Amino acid sequence: MDNVTKAKINLFAVLRNIQDLCSMDSEAAELIKGKNISVQFNVKEVGTGTLKFADGKCTFVRGKGPASLKLWFTSPEHFNKLIDGENTIPLFVNVFQVGFLLGVFQKLAARMSYYLQPPADKKAELLKDPEYFKTNTILTAYTAFHAMAEIANSDKIGKACAARMFDGTILLEIKNGPSLNITIKDHLLSVGMGSIKMPTASMVFNSLEFTHKILNGEASTFGGMGSGDFGLSGAVALLEQMGKLLNMVSVYLG
Amino acid sequence: MKLKYEPKKVIDVSKSQATFRRALNVIPAGIYGHLGPSEGCMIPVQSYPLYMSKAQGAYVYDLDGNRIIDYMCAYGPNFLGYNDPDVDAAAAEQRKKGDCTTLVSDISIDFAEELVGTINMADWAFFGKNGGDMTQFSVMIARAYTHRDKIVLTKGWYHGVAPWMQKIGYSGVTEGDVSNNLYIDWNAPEQFEALCKKYPGQIAGFISTPYMHGNFTDNVLPAPGYWQKIRKICDDNGIVLIFDDVRAGFRVDIKGTDYHYGIKADLSCFCKAIANGYNVSAICGNNKLLNATADIAYTGSYWFSAVPMAAGIATLKKAKAVNAVEENAKKGKKLTDGLAEIAKDNGFDLRVTGEPAMFYLRLGNDYPSTILHQEWVAECVKRGVFFTSHHNHFVCYALSDDDIQYTWEVADEAYKIVRKNHPDYDGYIK
Repeated sequence: MDNVTKAKINLFAVLRNIQDLCSMDSEAAELIKGKNISVQFNVKEVGTGTLKFADGKCTFVRGKGPASLKLWFTSPEHFNKLIDGENTIPLFVNVFQVGFLLGVFQKLAARMSYYLQPPADKKAELLKDPEYFKTNTILTAYTAFHAMAEIANSDKIGKACAARMFDGTILLEIKNGPSLNITIKDHLLSVGMGSIKMPTASMVFNSLEFTHKILNGEASTFGGMGSGDFGLSGAVALLEQMGKLLNMVSVYLG
Repeated sequence: MKLKYEPKKVIDVSKSQATFRRALNVIPAGIYGHLGPSEGCMIPVQSYPLYMSKAQGAYVYDLDGNRIIDYMCAYGPNFLGYNDPDVDAAAAEQRKKGDCTTLVSDISIDFAEELVGTINMADWAFFGKNGGDMTQFSVMIARAYTHRDKIVLTKGWYHGVAPWMQKIGYSGVTEGDVSNNLYIDWNAPEQFEALCKKYPGQIAGFISTPYMHGNFTDNVLPAPGYWQKIRKICDDNGIVLIFDDVRAGFRVDIKGTDYHYGIKADLSCFCKAIANGYNVSAICGNNKLLNATADIAYTGSYWFSAVPMAAGIATLKKAKAVNAVEENAKKGKKLTDGLAEIAKDNGFDLRVTGEPAMFYLRLGNDYPSTILHQEWVAECVKRGVFFTSHHNHFVCYALSDDDIQYTWEVADEAYKIVRKNHPDYDGYIK
């Protein structure tokens, strides 16, 4: 595991998820109601991402641009400490907006932890609630697939897997649920939201329950393929490498 | 091609599917490895028979009683036909005498002599159980003989499943496992030459299949003069030339595929067809490597089992008697010429590559997605013709003209179904 890749995952997969959290969770939506602010995270050696809050919605944008609050982190480790919940202070511009960071933003982060890292003693009970189960599974899936792309583009072994992938698009779909698509171009991976026509390969989870099991290491993809809980079609050579990349997500996210 | 036939019955595979669910409780992945639904790329798995009740000749019968023409031949071992009577009789005779015993059977010498008399490059033979036992051993022999570390592989390789044979990023494989591997492209002797200059005196062996028969891609034969160039580079640099003839052995040339392509390898690894399904593998070598080989500690509990050796001798004798290698190539050519014509008649572009008895199929219409080809394969399997979408196929001597005719009819029906299911299929054309 390297710190640059971890920071990329934290920025472009974990923090990015606040966008989806705000659309899926009513409490998060309530928190951002009426807010009109953008928070930019600049991380040395890693890149820039901006969370824009406007009209009751949140949007995550990759790359530099205007923002009302800009934060700078001096190293990947510096940023990773923030995401890991350690006490760390970024450099920032626009002191008048810091209240948002300490108030609403911290509450959004807590909401994210509620779904992605529920306390061990409450997890089983929480998962009995179908709405919680759904949000937990979908946010975990979004995090995992965005993290996978960062691993392919940054991690040494991830790059070796990506080097074996030819250009194409992979459709990832949860039946009766959301879809994602992964584009491979010149051995670099990028994630898009939603379905696509004529993918080069596709991976379909036949239920939210099986998706949850796979993401939590409670089922095997090989077993799932055989049982019909999990379907593949198209360029298996691409899916094979994607499977290797997905296996590496737990190295970074535990 | 004019074909007149009744639509084929779609097979019921419910018993296989139920049995597989039982297996998932007690066997990782139910059926692990290349024979299983995941690594075997059975897409969609619901179309596939997974378990056999019996096998005979070119057929395997599943638990639901369906007869299936088997173009995978257990991924190679079925060479003459399942349950070949001559091979089985020789094995049964040896079983009466003994199989896995403290004192080894002298049939091991008979088998080694049979191989030395058959394989052009062979001065000796050593036995194991699987192809991977032998490819692993070949690298150890090369290192023992040269006192060097590095091994050159060609891209698209498959030499088994030991960690060094796999790739970085694969489960259970570390960077250290593959740290002595060097890679070149197929048909690129100049890259091998460059590696010899970059790592002088460090390369122990060059290991390769006789031609590139990798998965998910067109199989590629050696360019004219390719093997002669590789042989010379090995000789000039003191490198051991290893042929991984595990898959192609006895399906291209009874004397070894190195002989077929006009050279002599230093080591050749065999398995699959060698004993028509009985579990034995072999490595053959030349005299310069005999002593280095003798000094390596390498063995296994069943490696001197006599029954598979008796089967191996009978297999080779029968293969020579009936010209099985040549006949299988003719059957493969006839079958695939017909398939390509049927595909064309239905508006599809079927590409056939590799040696005729080990043909690889893909569609030109949907590459690289292979979605239409996967559907065609599944429709064939549903009608009792077992193809795969990702791997080369195998032809066995028991395959008859009637089987080929039946296959053509199924192929035609399957193409028509795919075409009907995809009125938009032109969108996949590259």
